[in-house]
Amino acid sequence: MACTSANVVKCHCQKKWSSVTMPAMAKIQFCFTFILFIAINCASVNVDNISSDVKFKNVDRTIDLSSQLVKISQKITLENSGKSPVKSFLVAVEASSKNNLAYIGAKDSSGKDLRVSETTVKGHDSAKFWRVDLKDALNAGSTVVVTSETVFTKALQPYPTAITQQEDQLVKYTGNLYVYSPYQVTSQKTNVVVVTKGIESFSKVKPFSQQDGAIQYGPYPNVAPFTEKELSVHYKNNSPFLTVTRIERLIEVSHWGNIAIEELIEVEHTGAKLKGPFSRYDYQQDLHSGPASVRSYKTLLPASASDVYYRDTNGNISTSNMKVKKDSVELDLRPRYPLFGGWKTHYTLGYNVPSYEYLYHSGNEYLLKMRVIDHIFDDMQVDELTTKIILPEGSVGIKLNVPYPVTRLADSLHYTYLDTKGRPVITFKKSNVVENHIQDFQLRYTFPRLLMFQEPLLVVGFLYALFLLVIIYVRLDFSIHKAEHQHKD
Amino acid sequence: MPATAVAKPENGRNKGIFHNTAGFSTLITVTVLSLAWLAGFASRLFAVIRFESIIHEFDPWFNYRSTAYMVQHGFYNFLNWFDERAWYPLGRIVGGTVYPGLMITSGTIHWILHALNIPIHIRDICVFLAPVFSGLTAIATYLLTSEIWSRGAGLFAACFIAIVPGYSSRSVAGSYDNEGIAIFALQFTYYLWLKSVKSGSIFWSICTALSYFYMVSAWGGYVFIINLIPLHVFVLLVMGRFSQRLFVSYTVFYIIGLLLSMQIPFVGFQPIRTSEHMAASGVFALLMAVGALKYLHSLNPKGQWKQLLIVGGFLAAVAVFLVVVLLTYMGVIAPWSGRFYSLWDTAYAKIHIPIIASVSEHQPTTWSSFFFDLHVLVCTFPVGLWYCIKNINDERVFVALYALSAVYFAGVMVRLMLTLTPVVCVLAGIAFSILLDLVLREDEMCPPPVESEESKSLYDKAGKLKKRPHETPNGASEAGLGMNVRSGTLIAFMILLMLFSVHCTWATSNAYSSPSIVLASYGNDGSRRILDDFREAYGWLSQNTAEDARIMSWWDYGYQIAGMGNRTTLVDNNTWNNSHIALVGKAMASNESAAYSIMTALDVDYVLVIFGGAIGYSGDDINKFIWMVRIAEGEHPKDIHEADYFTERGEYRVDSEASKTMLNCLMYKLSYYRYDSGGSPPGYDRTRGALPGNRGFKLTYLEEAYTTEHWLVRIYRVKKPDEFNRPRLPVAKRTISTTNSVSKKLAIGPGTTTSKRRKGLLKNKPTVVKGKKVARLE
Repeated sequence: MACTSANVVKCHCQKKWSSVTMPAMAKIQFCFTFILFIAINCASVNVDNISSDVKFKNVDRTIDLSSQLVKISQKITLENSGKSPVKSFLVAVEASSKNNLAYIGAKDSSGKDLRVSETTVKGHDSAKFWRVDLKDALNAGSTVVVTSETVFTKALQPYPTAITQQEDQLVKYTGNLYVYSPYQVTSQKTNVVVVTKGIESFSKVKPFSQQDGAIQYGPYPNVAPFTEKELSVHYKNNSPFLTVTRIERLIEVSHWGNIAIEELIEVEHTGAKLKGPFSRYDYQQDLHSGPASVRSYKTLLPASASDVYYRDTNGNISTSNMKVKKDSVELDLRPRYPLFGGWKTHYTLGYNVPSYEYLYHSGNEYLLKMRVIDHIFDDMQVDELTTKIILPEGSVGIKLNVPYPVTRLADSLHYTYLDTKGRPVITFKKSNVVENHIQDFQLRYTFPRLLMFQEPLLVVGFLYALFLLVIIYVRLDFSIHKAEHQHKD
Repeated sequence: MPATAVAKPENGRNKGIFHNTAGFSTLITVTVLSLAWLAGFASRLFAVIRFESIIHEFDPWFNYRSTAYMVQHGFYNFLNWFDERAWYPLGRIVGGTVYPGLMITSGTIHWILHALNIPIHIRDICVFLAPVFSGLTAIATYLLTSEIWSRGAGLFAACFIAIVPGYSSRSVAGSYDNEGIAIFALQFTYYLWLKSVKSGSIFWSICTALSYFYMVSAWGGYVFIINLIPLHVFVLLVMGRFSQRLFVSYTVFYIIGLLLSMQIPFVGFQPIRTSEHMAASGVFALLMAVGALKYLHSLNPKGQWKQLLIVGGFLAAVAVFLVVVLLTYMGVIAPWSGRFYSLWDTAYAKIHIPIIASVSEHQPTTWSSFFFDLHVLVCTFPVGLWYCIKNINDERVFVALYALSAVYFAGVMVRLMLTLTPVVCVLAGIAFSILLDLVLREDEMCPPPVESEESKSLYDKAGKLKKRPHETPNGASEAGLGMNVRSGTLIAFMILLMLFSVHCTWATSNAYSSPSIVLASYGNDGSRRILDDFREAYGWLSQNTAEDARIMSWWDYGYQIAGMGNRTTLVDNNTWNNSHIALVGKAMASNESAAYSIMTALDVDYVLVIFGGAIGYSGDDINKFIWMVRIAEGEHPKDIHEADYFTERGEYRVDSEASKTMLNCLMYKLSYYRYDSGGSPPGYDRTRGALPGNRGFKLTYLEEAYTTEHWLVRIYRVKKPDEFNRPRLPVAKRTISTTNSVSKKLAIGPGTTTSKRRKGLLKNKPTVVKGKKVARLE
C-alpha cells in the first residue's frame, strides 16, 4: 500500500515534469524553472521494493538480431500469488547491457501502452529497474499478459573488427540466456532471430534447437530472480551498420502557412572497419561485392513534404531520388560514396510542410505538434539528437511537452529576414535515440496575431521613407553656391 | 573643339523634341541601364539554373575559401593568415600574397546583409557577386562612353558590355574571380580619369586615385591602368596638348594613387621598385619638367622660348629615360618580371617559364575567338575608333590608346581578351550611335526610344537576313539618304543587333557556363546524367582521411582539394614556387620507387590523379602529363628527359608502342591501375582511343584508397615503410657504417693519429646493428 501512495506522488511529479513551463525571455523565470527542473529530476529517482507476490508464470522472449539493433520483446504472463491486488511490477535490465539500452516500453494484451518509469531497488544498484504500471490492479490469484519491448544499441560487436572489401561482416552478440527478472520465472522460452544462415557459433545449453535463421532455447523451468548466464551468438550480419553520430533538427515555424524543417546529419558506418585497399574495379564487377558496405538508404518524410533538398558543404548531392507515395515521401539517399566500415559522411536534408497539419490555434493561443525526430533510415540508431524549434518573432508563454525525458538547453534568439528583436528558439537534446522515439512533442505558445503585420509594415515603411527622401532631395537645392553661369546647352 | 560639335546637335535636338527633356531622357537612361543590368545578370545565371549555386573551376575556390576565412575570423586575422594547408611544407602567407579587394567586397556585402538580419550564406554572395558587378560595369561603361561621345552611345555601350561573351566568360554566376569586379573598377577608374582630365579638378583626381586604389586591391591588372594613363599623358604632351587641367589631374592622381596602392600588402614597394611602374614616375617627372618650362615660357612668351620648350621637354624625356635605365642597371629597380616580359616576346614563356605556357588561357588568341567573344562588335569598333580619331580631343586620345594597346594584349594572350572587351563595347557603341543618328536624323525620331527598344530586342529571336557589316561606312558616307535606304539600313541594323544578342546568349550558355567541377552528360533520350566525381572524391577526402593528411596532386587541383576536401596540399594554382611544382612533376614522372623516395621526403599521405579514360574526359592528368615532364625537366635536367616519354618517332602514346619510361612512370601506373572497364575491349582508354600498353601490374608502394564512380578521380594511399615487403637484409649487412675515414684511423690505431684529427671522436663508439644488442668496440 505504501508503494501505491508513492506511485501517486510519482505520477504527479511526472505530469509536472512533462509540462515544464519556460517563458522565453525572462531570465529569472528561467532560472526558477531550471531549479524546479532539477528538483523534479531528483524527485523522480524513486525507490521501489521487489514484491514477493508477483511471479512470472511464463515468459516468451524473442531476441531479434537481424539488424544492427538488438530488439528484445518479452511476452510476460504475470501472476499475483499474494493476497492483495498488485498495481505494478518491475522490469530489470542487467548491468552489462544497461548502458546500451535505448528504449523500453510495455503493452498490455490489447496493445495499449502502459506507463513505464525508471526506478531503483535497494540492494541492486548495478542493475537498472523500470516500473510498469498496470491499467487495472491485478487481483490475487489472477494472471495478466504484458508485452515488454526493449531496444539496445551497440550491443553487437563486429568480430573480426576489420574486414577486407569482399568479406562478409561477422558480429557477436553477448546476452543473458535467461530472462533477467527480479521475480521468479516459472517457465521461459527464448527465440533468437538472426535471419541469416551463416551462424558461426552459439551457446549450446540444452534444450535448444536451430532452424535456419533462428535458434530456440528452452523451455527452462523455475529460474531464480537475477540469474545470469552467458548467451553468445556469432553470426553473419550484412545489414547496414549505420550510426547517426549527430543530428540537429531545426524546425522553423512561420505563421504564413509553412513549417521549414532542416536536419544536419552526420553518419558513420560503425560495423567492421575496412581493411586494406578499396578497389573500384571489384566494386563495379557485381552488385554483391562489398557486402558490408552501404550504397544507399531510404528516408521517409511526411506525405506533405515539398521542396526537398539534400546537400552538404560542397553543394548538392546529385545522387538521390524522390518518390511521392500515398502516405509518405520516400527519399532514396545515396551518399557521395559508398560507406564502408569506419567511413563517415555528413549532409543536410531539408523540406517544407504546410503548417495546417501541425499547427493548431484558437485565438492567440497556438499549439505545435510535431515529431521530436523523424525517420532517417530503418533500424536507425542516433547517438545524439538536438532539436531546435524556432517560433515566430513575438511568441511568448512557451510551454513544452515531450513524450519522454529530454535535456532542455537554454533558450536563445534567432535572427532572420526582417527581424527586430529575434525569434525565440527552444532547444532540447537527447542521446541514444532509436525508431521507437519517433513521437510527437507539443509546444504551446501565445502569439498576438496583430504582430503578423509587423514585417510587411516594416517593408512598406522603409520604401515610403526612401521615396520621401528622394522626393525631398530632388525638390530642394542643397548646393553650397550657385553655378555662375548656365550650362552651355 | 570639334568634339562637342558632334555631340552637341544631338543634345540640342533632344531638347527640341520633348517638353521636359531632362526628366524624359533620365527616365529612358535609368530604364535602359536597369534593363541592361537585369539582362546581364540574367544571362549569367545559366550555370546556377542548370546545376546549382556553386563556385566554379579552380581559382574561385581559393577566393571563396579565403573569403569564408575572412568572414569567420575577421579582416586583420585574414591579413595575417598563414595558411599551413597549402604548399606543404612551406606554407603560404595568404594575407600578403593576394589581392584582397574581392574578399573585402563580398565580406562587406555579407556584413551589411547580416547587420540587416538577412542570413545569406557567404557562398551565395560569392556566387552572385560577378553577375551583380556586371551591372555596375554596364553603368561605368555608360558613364565612360557618355564622357567620350554621347549619352546615346553610352546606352549602346552599356547594353553591349552587359551581355558580350568576352566579359561574361569571366563573370558568370559562380566564377568568383578577381576579374569579375576588376573590370568594373577598370572602367570606373577610366571614367573618373577622363572626368578629371576634362575638368582639371582635384576632386575628380582624388576620386580617380581612390577608384584606382580599389582596382589595385582587386586585380593584378591594375598595371594596365598605371601604364595606360601615363601613356595618355605622354601622348598628350607629345601632341602639344599640355594644359593646367592635365597637370593638376595627373600629379594629384599619381601621388595619391601611388601612396594608396602601396597600402596593399601584396603590392608593397613594387610601385617604386619595379620597371612595370616606372613609366608612371617617368611621366610624372616629365610633366613636372614641362610644367616648369611652360611656366618659364609664360614669363616671356616670345618665339625663341618655344623652341626651348620643345628642346627642353625632349631633353627632360631623355634624362628621365636614362635615369630609369641606370637605376635598373644598378639594381635599384627590378627589371621586368617574366610574366610581363612574355607579353612582348610571345616565345619567351615557352622557353623560360613552362609553367605559364602550360596554362591554356595564356596561349595566343585565334581569330575565331575574337569573333566568338565579340561577334559583330569586332567589326564595328574600328568605325568608332575612326570617328574618335577624326574628331580628336583629350579624351578621345585616351580611348584610342586604350583600344590600340588592348588589341595588342588581347592578341598575345587569350586571357587578356577581357581588357579588350570594354573598349570594344565603348567604340562599337559610338559607331552604332553615329549610324542611328545619321539614319534617323530627318525622321525627327528620337534615338533614345530606339535604343531602349534595342535593349529589349536583345532577347528576340534572330531574323533570317544576312548581317551586313559593310552597311556602316555606306550609311555614314551618304549624306542625302532616301527613305528606302534609311529603313533598309535600320532593319539591317536591327537584325545585326538581334544576331548579336542571340550569339551572346548562346555563347554564354554553351561555352562559359560550365562549373567544370560538375559534369553533365546527355543520354540519347535527352535525359541528363550528372557526373559528380570531383565532389565525390573531395567529399571522401574530407571525411575519411586524417585531419592533417597531405595530398599530392598536380597543381591544377590544389585549390579544389583545399577548398572542398579541406586537406593539406603540396602545390596549388598559386604557382609561386616553380621548384616545388617541379618536384611534384618529377615524382609523377619517375618510376614507383624513385617517386616513393620523393613522396616520403615530402611526407605525402595520399596521391590524387585525374583519369578521364573511362568516360572520355580529355582534361585529365595523362593529357597534361607532358607539361609535368617539361616543368620537371626544367629543374631536374639530369633525371627527367622529355624525349624519354615519347616514342622513337616522337609520338605521345599510352598503348603498347609507348616508351618504356612512359609505361613505368608513376602517373601512368596510377591512372591505369586495375582499370578494366570502359569501352568494348576491357580497359580501353576512351580519351586517347587506345588500349593501355602496360596492364595487370601491381603497385608496391601505394594502394588504391578510393576511386570515384566514373573513375575520374583516383586516390592512392602511400604505404608506410613497414607496410610493404622490402628485400630482407641479412643481419650482418645491417651495420650502419660510421664515416669511413674515422674507422680507418681507428683500425690503424690511436697512436698514429694526431690529436687534432681525433677531435670530436667518441672513444669506444658502439656500432649499431639492427636487431642486435649494442656491443662495445674493444
